Amino acid sequence: MNLQQIRNNAALREKLASEYVLGTLRGGARRRFEGWLEEDAALRRTVAEWQDRLTPMAEFAPVARPSPQVWQAIESELKLKPRRSFWMGLREDLAFWRGLGMASTAAAAVLATVLLTRLPTPEAPIADYVAMLADDKAQPVMLITGDARRRELTVRVLAPPPVAPDKSLELWAVPKEGAPRSLGLVAADGTVTLPLAENATPESAPVLAISLEPKGGSPNRNAPTGPILYKGAWLKT
Amino acid sequence: MTECALATDEQQNMRLKTLLAATARKDAAAFRSLYDATSAKLFAFALRILIKRELAEEALQESFVNIWIHASGYQSGLAAPMTWMTTIVRNKAFDLLRRQDDNVEIDADIFDKEVMEALESASPTPFEALQMSGDAKALARCLSALEGLHRQAIALAFYHDLSHSEVAGQMKLPMGTVKTWIRRGLEKLRKCLSGGERA
Repeated sequence: MNLQQIRNNAALREKLASEYVLGTLRGGARRRFEGWLEEDAALRRTVAEWQDRLTPMAEFAPVARPSPQVWQAIESELKLKPRRSFWMGLREDLAFWRGLGMASTAAAAVLATVLLTRLPTPEAPIADYVAMLADDKAQPVMLITGDARRRELTVRVLAPPPVAPDKSLELWAVPKEGAPRSLGLVAADGTVTLPLAENATPESAPVLAISLEPKGGSPNRNAPTGPILYKGAWLKT
Repeated sequence: MTECALATDEQQNMRLKTLLAATARKDAAAFRSLYDATSAKLFAFALRILIKRELAEEALQESFVNIWIHASGYQSGLAAPMTWMTTIVRNKAFDLLRRQDDNVEIDADIFDKEVMEALESASPTPFEALQMSGDAKALARCLSALEGLHRQAIALAFYHDLSHSEVAGQMKLPMGTVKTWIRRGLEKLRKCLSGGERA
């Protein structure tokens, strides 16, 4: 039997397609049939028709519910909620919130230094908000100050982190609820000024975080794709 | 089958197609809705094949991982979305079945007892209890018009992944007889489902 022979034999095509779908077409005959399927769109349609005919036999069983663990396993295997686990995790990070008191003390100390070394003039930026971002060993890495009047953020790198040339650091405001918001890219060294968005003040976003992203930043404005490197409480002075 | 049931089936089909298309675009929320809409039926089917809950759950999990990965390969012009997903579950369940050391109990009788009794009964209630689609009800009616042994041979192959000779072994009949019955049974089903000889 070859493709030409089955092309002109409607009854044979139906028989083979039906047994292919039922599963009784086996071994070499099944493999040959699968070869023909690749070359014969009409035969693929005949198979699909048989699938539509026979597959409803699957419904001849009382409906049964799988346990909730099945969905959880699917979700974790396919990594369907990385962004959620990031900021949900951040919010639920009890150690982090316990350390918040200490962090704000450290931030206040840094702020005092900043203010003392630069006498405020009417044109100078005013630090209405401040955050000290630290790594997972609580080492301070960046100091961020916010000027409410000018709507500006200033990011000062205290300890330049190693960043590969094909990567960028991205700053995020993490709100109490909802998706994090990108505030822009941050240089690995020196000082960067970024616009301060309305919904990125400590009242609505109590945490700032830096993620490691592909060059140019996360393709999704509402979620980091890379790991969170630094984080800190965003406080009103 | 009432027109109302037809419309509902068609709506359900459209909804599943939309969800599958969104899943193909890696929309995780749509994928969750697809899971919610279909997992109970698909799980019931996996359980029917594998009998053990933990095996059926494994089959369901692996199937949905495949559905997520291959959703863009679904051709809406060919088979119905539920057919496509069920075929994935069936293949996965058979894979797991082949990996088992001990044979799963073969229960052609359950098929006849639980389902065929319901089909032959005039009351629509058992159908509703099984939450069958219109397609499944039509198939059930056509199956019930077959001779019992032909129906049983088809069910053994469909649910238990049996070859002609294995079906013959189960039914203690010559293979040639079983082959002929299955062929005739399928041919009758096709005619019946195309509306010619609806029971």
